[in-house]
Amino acid sequence: MGVYTLPRSQLHLFLAVLSKRSPVYVPVKRDAIRFEPYNGTIDFSDNAYFPIKEHFFRKRETILRFDGQKLITVRPTSSKKIFFGVRRCDLTALKHQDSIFQKQYKDPWYKAQRANTILIGYHCATPPNKYCFCDGMGLEEYQDLMFYEQKTQFLVEVTSVKGAALIKKYRRFFKKANKRITDADKHIKTRKLRKRDFNAIYDHHAWTAGVNKCLSCTACTAMCPTCYCYELHDELDTLKHGTRCRIWSSCQVKAFTRIAGNHVFREQREHRFKHRIYHQIQYFREQHGFDLCTGCGRCIAACPTRIDWVSIANKIT
Amino acid sequence: MIQTLVPRKVKVLHRFRETPDIVSLTLPKVGTCVPGQFYQLSVLGYGEAPISVASYTTKTVQFTIRQAGTVTNALANLKKGDTLYIRGPYGKGYPLKEYEGKNIILIGAGCGVATLRGVIDYIIHHRHKYNDVFLFFGYRNVNDIIFKKEAVQWKEVFNFKTALSKEKSTTCHDWTSGHITEVIEGLKLRTKNTGVFICGPPRMINDTVAILKKKGFTDEQLYLSTERLMYCGIGMCCHCMIRGKFTCKDGPVFRFDEIGYFKND
Ligand SMILES: Cc1cc2nc3c(=O)[nH]c(=O)nc-3n(C[C@H](O)[C@H](O)[C@H](O)COP(=O)(O)OP(=O)(O)OC[C@H]3O[C@@H](n4cnc5c(N)ncnc54)[C@H](O)[C@@H]3O)c2cc1C
Ligand code: SF4
Repeated sequence: MGVYTLPRSQLHLFLAVLSKRSPVYVPVKRDAIRFEPYNGTIDFSDNAYFPIKEHFFRKRETILRFDGQKLITVRPTSSKKIFFGVRRCDLTALKHQDSIFQKQYKDPWYKAQRANTILIGYHCATPPNKYCFCDGMGLEEYQDLMFYEQKTQFLVEVTSVKGAALIKKYRRFFKKANKRITDADKHIKTRKLRKRDFNAIYDHHAWTAGVNKCLSCTACTAMCPTCYCYELHDELDTLKHGTRCRIWSSCQVKAFTRIAGNHVFREQREHRFKHRIYHQIQYFREQHGFDLCTGCGRCIAACPTRIDWVSIANKIT
Repeated sequence: MIQTLVPRKVKVLHRFRETPDIVSLTLPKVGTCVPGQFYQLSVLGYGEAPISVASYTTKTVQFTIRQAGTVTNALANLKKGDTLYIRGPYGKGYPLKEYEGKNIILIGAGCGVATLRGVIDYIIHHRHKYNDVFLFFGYRNVNDIIFKKEAVQWKEVFNFKTALSKEKSTTCHDWTSGHITEVIEGLKLRTKNTGVFICGPPRMINDTVAILKKKGFTDEQLYLSTERLMYCGIGMCCHCMIRGKFTCKDGPVFRFDEIGYFKND
């Protein structure tokens, strides 16, 4: 669909102009790198610590309101958003989330957040950190434009109709380039997760090294761009009024499987620790034919004890 | 399958107290359901709870609810004419069609009997389609027994045994003392052309399956109704996962070989 160039010196001007139309979320360095509306700075030194998931599958979503036993339906609202600088793992992660929330279930709340979104990708010339393992995790093209950083310019690959329209609208920033982006250009070389039937190695003793260091703190699931578990709760504002809301939840805590009578199905940490990994790289594949995990490595980067489950799994023969 | 998480409003048609902590509610039927499936019932402000279909009737559906916590207490406190919310039905029911012309053994413990009640009603409606039917139900004591009225009829139609684990039998009763698993262990059961449907707590299910397998039943003859924490009911929130399977969507009735024994994973 065409390749263009944008001089590096023009990037901020382009983003500033683009921001006039609708908020452009870019990776910004705060306490950590997070996606925030463009405000003059941008940080590509590492992948964002927080994935863009929370903008679509929000931490807290109001499903309905009530007044006594009267149910008040809530219409999800939608606004235009542009995301700039999303890396390939996170684009694929969004695709996986879409396949659950939009394809498998027509989730109206997710759909509202997801509608009117433009995705501008950022290709990792080299892995942004040592935890990445996206190579071999089935990354896919899911963006409207893809930016490839070079010494003095960005190569901008148009990958969708929406992307082409955007280039057309801001044509003055871009110069047509006489170049084709090949599969080799798209490839990112990282360490790899050795894939196999993980059911066969569930009971392997090597996992113990990870299990023993796990604190059940839930950082891994909170930072994961694909984890999509949730809970529904009725919250009261007054004794009569309130909301039923959907909030994120984590399989790392006992409450995840605790039923009335206080029986916990995944009582031991071992099983909770493995459940997250297995849902990502085994169970989801059994159900959908592909892995949920995209290899961004955030679960390792965010883990307070840096449990590198990929290395652990790779060592198991 | 279009599903939202928003329930719809219904009113209680009938309420009956079964035991000090179990109540049956009759509600207008929403959609078409088969025994073994469940609905999410809610009282706004309290939350939702998955409750099994405990009847086989055309216009209404009965739920038998044990008061176990916040939501179930709120449900049990509803009176005739009160409003509640419902969504469903969800999940897979018992393979009743598959066992036409064959024998069926129902084994239930405690509130698990409620889940099997729909199967019993179904069989009564289609009695000629099934051969021998056995009911083996276990409770702790006399006060826990549910469906006492219905049991009078069941005794006439089926081979029916009740075991009470915390009750010492002194005089002649229509129940035996001990665990239902012990009762089953002591029985001679024909395995040929027989399906066994089991519902109860995880440990009881494990024990029962082990006993039945010793008696010669194969994995394919055993069906379990499983209970897990769940919120969405549609295979999305992931709380009810048993390894790669969803209790709410692939179950709650599983053939034994689909999930195997209850483990902690
Ligand atoms: C498929 C299925 C069928 C069921 N059928 C029946 C039935 O016919 N009769 C009956 O009495 N009980 C049944 N249960 C169990 C019943 O759903 C729980 O006892 C009930 O959810 C407890 O909620 P609570 O608010 O009263 O308890 P609390 O302990 O106060 O629970 C608070 C919240 O935790 C969740 N929760 C707690 N326990 C369970 C559980 N076992 N399953 C799912 N969510 C839970 C609920 O979301 C609830 O809102 C069934 C459970 C499942 C999974
Ligand atoms: S982030 Fe690390 S310590 Fe915390 S729950 Fe996950 S694996 Fe365990």
